[in-house]
Amino acid sequence: MHDMSKKITALSKTTKNREASTVIEVDDIGFSYDLGKTETLKGISMEIPKNQVTALIGPSGCGKSTLLRCLNRMNDLIDTAKITRGAIRILGQDIHAAEVDAIELRKQVGMVFQKYNPFPKSIYDNVAYGLRIQGVKKKSILDEAVERSLRNAALWDEAKDRLKDSALGLSGGQQQRLCIARTIAVRPKVILMDEPCSALDPIATAKVEELMLELRKEFTIVIVTHSMQQASRISDRTAFFYLGELVEYASTSHIFTSPSVKQTEDYISGRFG
Amino acid sequence: MQSSEHILTTFDQALHELRETTLSMAVGAQKNLKNSIDGLLQQDKQLCNQAIADDEDEDQLEILIDNLGMQIIVRFRPVATDLRMVIGAMKTSTNLERISDQAVSIAKRSRKILKNEEIPEIRRIEGLYQVAAAMLADAVTAYSDSNTELALSVIDQQKEIKKTHKKTSRFFSRKLETETAHYRDYLDLVLICRWLDRVGGLATNIAEDIIFEITSSDIRHGGELPPELIDDDTDSSTPH
Repeated sequence: MHDMSKKITALSKTTKNREASTVIEVDDIGFSYDLGKTETLKGISMEIPKNQVTALIGPSGCGKSTLLRCLNRMNDLIDTAKITRGAIRILGQDIHAAEVDAIELRKQVGMVFQKYNPFPKSIYDNVAYGLRIQGVKKKSILDEAVERSLRNAALWDEAKDRLKDSALGLSGGQQQRLCIARTIAVRPKVILMDEPCSALDPIATAKVEELMLELRKEFTIVIVTHSMQQASRISDRTAFFYLGELVEYASTSHIFTSPSVKQTEDYISGRFG
Repeated sequence: MQSSEHILTTFDQALHELRETTLSMAVGAQKNLKNSIDGLLQQDKQLCNQAIADDEDEDQLEILIDNLGMQIIVRFRPVATDLRMVIGAMKTSTNLERISDQAVSIAKRSRKILKNEEIPEIRRIEGLYQVAAAMLADAVTAYSDSNTELALSVIDQQKEIKKTHKKTSRFFSRKLETETAHYRDYLDLVLICRWLDRVGGLATNIAEDIIFEITSSDIRHGGELPPELIDDDTDSSTPH
């Protein structure tokens, strides 16, 4: 077979393999921060596929971070927050069902924040933290989990000789990758990332982005980002939000080359407002 | 789709400059083609020389347009319509430069023909030139006005230029066999026919890129037309 034909066949196989099943199903979800007086999310419906990176983009206040926080019920911590309609199902389970415990849910749906937030503990203890909370005490299991997580987070080579050192001594980029290692140590199904690179320099950003592309082989990733370039570089699918509504949700390639909705085009090309 | 102003006025200015430079280059390519054929038909060596000399401007404009496009990509990271517009301008400039090269080839052969005794049938080339020049003019207008209908009409004119090329070329080929005293001139005329046909092909490339720029549908090599350009009673695939 001609080289180019092989490439095209391989590309089509890759695309086919990446047509994954749905992990998160957001079904007409409405959300309010003031007990239902005003809706911050207005009937969002979308399906987030397995082992892909899905980017949520949109101007400040559009609801993208709110939706992200709905996915592991982080908004439960706000007294006046309320789901006004619809449902969110993760792996078929309604996350607001009475039998679902929010803490258990967050083990399945981990989160990485904008500002890296390692605990003031050693590198080892940071990564082992979640497992210890779950009751894992055996040193060999913890050692194995810490090494695997640090390797998955592309931090092992830099940290293996200083596992007992304080995590706060790492650089910003390393601290964020440590937070990712801490998240994946408990083997979640989904990783939520809320602007994970906004406080990092370009080199550290590139390392985290590279890491995300590697991690999607094992995890489903949902990322909120203000960087159009980042969304176009790392995500498979992109959702554009505006004023609490999902304007367009499609493959990243489609969104950034030929979006179907003018509002999307105006936003991504800087003609918004 | 793109219509509103960009938040960065410098970005809109850069896109405007790119488009204006491409249009200037298009005008130059049209002029060079006209001079090369006028030189032949009016027996004016000076016009042929002009077409050859002015090709240098087209070469420089092609380089300038590539640089402007690359600067826009690096500085502003365009996406969607903006990205297609930048790529469209860079591809159009390449096609225009090739059209100007065809004009140079025609002008050089024309100068050779002009050295010899006049051939009465030389005016038969005019019909083929008119079709090629019309295709180029329509492609340039379609680019300038972002007019997909006109771009589509350029693609539709392919059949006509092929037909006219075949007819004109066949006539000169027969002459080449019978009029042995002027065989070199007839051979040059056959080559000029081929270059004019090539101009039509390059104008078609420009038209296809215009449709991609505006609709994001890639219709090259039998790609399907976007729904908004399909007549109910026509086939959706392009004729090439």
